[in-house]
Amino acid sequence: MVSAIIETSGLTRNYGDICALKPIDLIVPEGEWLSVMGHSGSGKSTLMNLVGGLDRPSNGSLRVGGEDLLALSEDGLARFRREFVGIIFQQHHLVPYLTAVENVMLAQYFHSVPDEAEARSALERVGLGHRLKNRPGELSGGEQQRVCIARAIINSPKLLLGDEPTGNLDHKSTVMVMELLKELRAEERFTVIMVTHNQEVAAWGDRTIYLDDGVLVREERMKS
Amino acid sequence: MLFRILKNSFLKRPKAVFLVFLSIAMGAAVATAFLGIAGEVSHKMALELRSYGANILLEPSAVEGGGFLREEDLPKIKTVFWKYNITGFTPYLFGIAEFSAGGKKERGVVSGTWFARQLEVPGEDPSVQGIKGIAPWWEVEGRWPEAADESIVGAALAKRLNVVPGGDVTTTVRGRTQQLRIVGVVTTGGYEEEQLFAPLVTVQSLLQQQGKISRVLVSALTVPMDDFGKKDPATMSKDEYEKWYCTAYVTSVAKNVEEVMAGSRAKPIWQIASAEGALLKKLNSVMLLLTVLALGASATAVSTSLMASMAERSPEIALMKAVGADRLQISAIFVGETLIISVAGGIVGYLLGDQLAGIISRTVFNSPISSPLWLFPTAIISAFAVAIAGSVAPLRRALLIEPVRVLKG
Repeated sequence: MVSAIIETSGLTRNYGDICALKPIDLIVPEGEWLSVMGHSGSGKSTLMNLVGGLDRPSNGSLRVGGEDLLALSEDGLARFRREFVGIIFQQHHLVPYLTAVENVMLAQYFHSVPDEAEARSALERVGLGHRLKNRPGELSGGEQQRVCIARAIINSPKLLLGDEPTGNLDHKSTVMVMELLKELRAEERFTVIMVTHNQEVAAWGDRTIYLDDGVLVREERMKS
Repeated sequence: MLFRILKNSFLKRPKAVFLVFLSIAMGAAVATAFLGIAGEVSHKMALELRSYGANILLEPSAVEGGGFLREEDLPKIKTVFWKYNITGFTPYLFGIAEFSAGGKKERGVVSGTWFARQLEVPGEDPSVQGIKGIAPWWEVEGRWPEAADESIVGAALAKRLNVVPGGDVTTTVRGRTQQLRIVGVVTTGGYEEEQLFAPLVTVQSLLQQQGKISRVLVSALTVPMDDFGKKDPATMSKDEYEKWYCTAYVTSVAKNVEEVMAGSRAKPIWQIASAEGALLKKLNSVMLLLTVLALGASATAVSTSLMASMAERSPEIALMKAVGADRLQISAIFVGETLIISVAGGIVGYLLGDQLAGIISRTVFNSPISSPLWLFPTAIISAFAVAIAGSVAPLRRALLIEPVRVLKG
């Protein structure tokens, strides 16, 4: 029996009068790759932000890795993010004036102690051993996304969150990134939550849930 | 890593960094200049204020019989602890005499004094002491006496006796007569205009009081009186007394002088001392206020620059927060940046301020200025203070950034 890494009950998020996420009950077993699909404004990014400790719910309960996120202070959530979560953004969000290796070391710095050799190794794992000293502006979109993946995995997170990580990539780069994530997950055994509106990308997961207007309307288990 | 972040942040945003640096440097420069000249201005103003007249009066102590002081003790005034603060002194010997000139007769006060006496004290630099030094506002029509039988006469007395420079006044005291040549008529605006002033030795001889004096007026550079300075030395502890004695209060300088003049009692001339003290205190307050205002303006400029920079950097801050930076780590980066800039700004500000102080001193006081060493740490601390005060609002804004909103889509 695999234990649950994420448990939500009646999880809700309101922004003023707008209910971005209506009460959701969700259990994600440890090690699962969960794809979250839905149209724009369906609440999928909101769900990911709540699970990643980037936002606070309006109602309901939310436990991730045994931590009650509602009980954590601002600094407690920051600690949770650096120790437990790795995030891959659609827009990469790399610090423009730092090199690829320094961008990876940034996550190490906030987590514990920067280790350049380890950061280099992480970039080599994502196939960027030859681009260590390049700044984001000197990298292609796919390469930037791989730096973002290296930064997300450098602290060995239990939970990897992807917010449309291939949204800005062409098909070839998308496949490359997804294969890389699959390999890394096999090695690191982390849980993946991938927000996407691309059915092809969602199909890389074990299970897909569908959100519509903040409501979990359907879920689908992928055939292995 | 912090060093790499700071270094790259500086190199990437030279314009923003330069603006913050400039604001801090200007604040430190103005603080250095104002504080630098504040000390100097106090000193120069104190010297200027000595033209108000003497601020310490030495008289025979009533306890000692209230007779006379000894002229032979006068050189000792130039050997006391506060000798460098004593800018001048002059002795007086008063007597009642009968003046006659051109058929007119009148009883009045004859004052024996030093006009400009060369004083040689073993082990000390030679100096010139006398009325000319401590009462520069005296206007003499004619010239100052140089010989033993020369004198100057107060304007009111001269008018009544109808004497002018070049005339003679016969001065008689208890049957002893001295013919005095009038070489000047003095206008002071005070009681001195009713007297006749002759060399001390002449009046001592006339009054048969050789080697004796009635009082000494002392002009000394002093610091404004504060609550501690006003305390009665008799009630002070040993440490307090030492501190009081070693501070140039008018009371402690007076005490210092009193100790070397046998049988004397020294009293501050409060209307002079208080006016000087109040003026110097106000001057220092104005300089301090200007410094604080300049630093406040710099801190505002730093805050504005950092606010603009913070808006530009919000994605970077949001990202740092998203990958797990807590408030302390975010603060360390931004405060670290600002403090590094403030060290550079403080050094440059000190150098600029030193030059500025020199320009102000030359323009206003016509004299150069040398910055005291303590101004350097003061400039650095001022720069830190400006940097920290200017960072508060931007840092608060940075800490309130929500990654979810900034990193959206």
